[in-house]
Amino acid sequence: MPMSSKFDVVVVGAGPAGLAAAYKLASAGFKVLVVERGREPGSKQVYGGRIYAYWLDKYLPEFRKDAPADRWVRKERISLMSDESVTTMEFEVVKPEKSSFVASLAAFTSWLGKLATSAGAKIVTEVVVDELLRDERGRFVGVRSGQDKIYADYVIDAEGVNRLLLERAGIVQRLKPEHVAVGAKEVLKFENRKVLEDRLGLSEDEGLAWAFAGWPTEYLPGGAFLYTYRDSVALGVVVYLTSWRRLATPVYDLAERLRTHPYIAKLVAGANLQEYSAHLTPVAGISMAPPRFSYDGLLIVGDTAGFLMHAGVLIRGVDFAVASGVLAAETIKEVGRPDALSRYDDKLRSSFILRDLLAFKNADKVLSGQFAFDDMPKLVNAFLRNYFTVEDRPPTVASALKTTMGEGNWSLAKILINTMYALAYL
Amino acid sequence: MSSQQAVKFLTIEERLNVNAWDTDIYRPHIKIKDPDKCRFCEKKPCTYMCPAKCYVQQGDIVVLSTEACLECGTCRVVCPYENIDWNYPRSGMGVWYRFS
Repeated sequence: MPMSSKFDVVVVGAGPAGLAAAYKLASAGFKVLVVERGREPGSKQVYGGRIYAYWLDKYLPEFRKDAPADRWVRKERISLMSDESVTTMEFEVVKPEKSSFVASLAAFTSWLGKLATSAGAKIVTEVVVDELLRDERGRFVGVRSGQDKIYADYVIDAEGVNRLLLERAGIVQRLKPEHVAVGAKEVLKFENRKVLEDRLGLSEDEGLAWAFAGWPTEYLPGGAFLYTYRDSVALGVVVYLTSWRRLATPVYDLAERLRTHPYIAKLVAGANLQEYSAHLTPVAGISMAPPRFSYDGLLIVGDTAGFLMHAGVLIRGVDFAVASGVLAAETIKEVGRPDALSRYDDKLRSSFILRDLLAFKNADKVLSGQFAFDDMPKLVNAFLRNYFTVEDRPPTVASALKTTMGEGNWSLAKILINTMYALAYL
Repeated sequence: MSSQQAVKFLTIEERLNVNAWDTDIYRPHIKIKDPDKCRFCEKKPCTYMCPAKCYVQQGDIVVLSTEACLECGTCRVVCPYENIDWNYPRSGMGVWYRFS
């Protein structure tokens, strides 16, 4: 790493947020350095598997040209799993659309890194930043890694969900269990893409995004997912860190427990494990955000800022990350001085980022409750089982419902109240 | 490839083995600050929340091995005694995700 080099902008972290900022700033002629701890951009990153296109079209339309989109999602499934059965709702658009795609985050980030580099940004890898540097007036003026210091007019913090640098700078408190969930994921590679497509009912290049609730998390808040890459699938489980007192299966076996569940096993049989990964994901959205997103000389983007929307089956991080990076770059281009960066907060407020995060700020009330992950999967599966089971007397909807209610501790009033609650917040 | 074939449950060690690693065995990036504190930790959440099984209970103490750490940060957040000194591995070391 160059000693005591001076840049216009130093970016901590070569993820979607940091690289989007670096790309836009380098394109505008700024001297930009991105400092990344991994071997290459993307090599420390994990996500579920899907990127939404709508806001990328506005903020980074370049992705349409040559970003590595393995499969555009055509089919959506939501499954409620109980111990005994699985109930699935499937949605498929008749005509193929290009509104969200599945890609490995390593590949997408690598693409974005090349875009930033080709615009003139410099990326140094295998360097861990230890500290954000401030001058005597408290303005952020650079970063330190070991003995090396790099100075810049602007610092962009895109360090990710584990915001060690923000904690050390005294801007945020330690992460708390209620702020984050842990995801453990397996990438399972099929013999060829045709096998994958046949198993999951897809045509060539079509993608599936599949969310599961109930059994995969032992009926605790969180869920499971399956996304289709080109010739592999991402299969994973996400659990809230607040669940630690009630979890019976250790987290390190949750994804494998799901893979070997008879319902999933027949879909992925023969596919080989290609990678096992894990990462924290923000779940508290705006509730875990730093007090401000801009300080003198410093802008905070992406997961570091809590810019990830977690609303049940809708989980969006990459579009929020990219957009926040672009807004940070625009702010620096427009204000031209490190002490006037509060315009970034204004830009966030008038963008979809804070609009959407504020709109869903109470989603975790529903999502951390018992109804969505425990009562509902069990109730729906019990009801359908009663309805589809023909024995002595043929069941009716009413009789199946009555039997189901009698089996558990469910009251119609409780179900209605919880449904209204979910409708109000999701 | 038949969909009828039995699916074998892979242990966490078997699963971690498929990853690409560049392990820094000389400079562990995570340390238990005061191992004695773990004795009094009733539930030891690190031992079952860590997705890589880096923390193993032996008797009433916890043994940490960071070689196959996935660098997620869960242990730091769930430790009820803030007893974990947590950093990223130096110089590009650690896990190298390529397909996630």
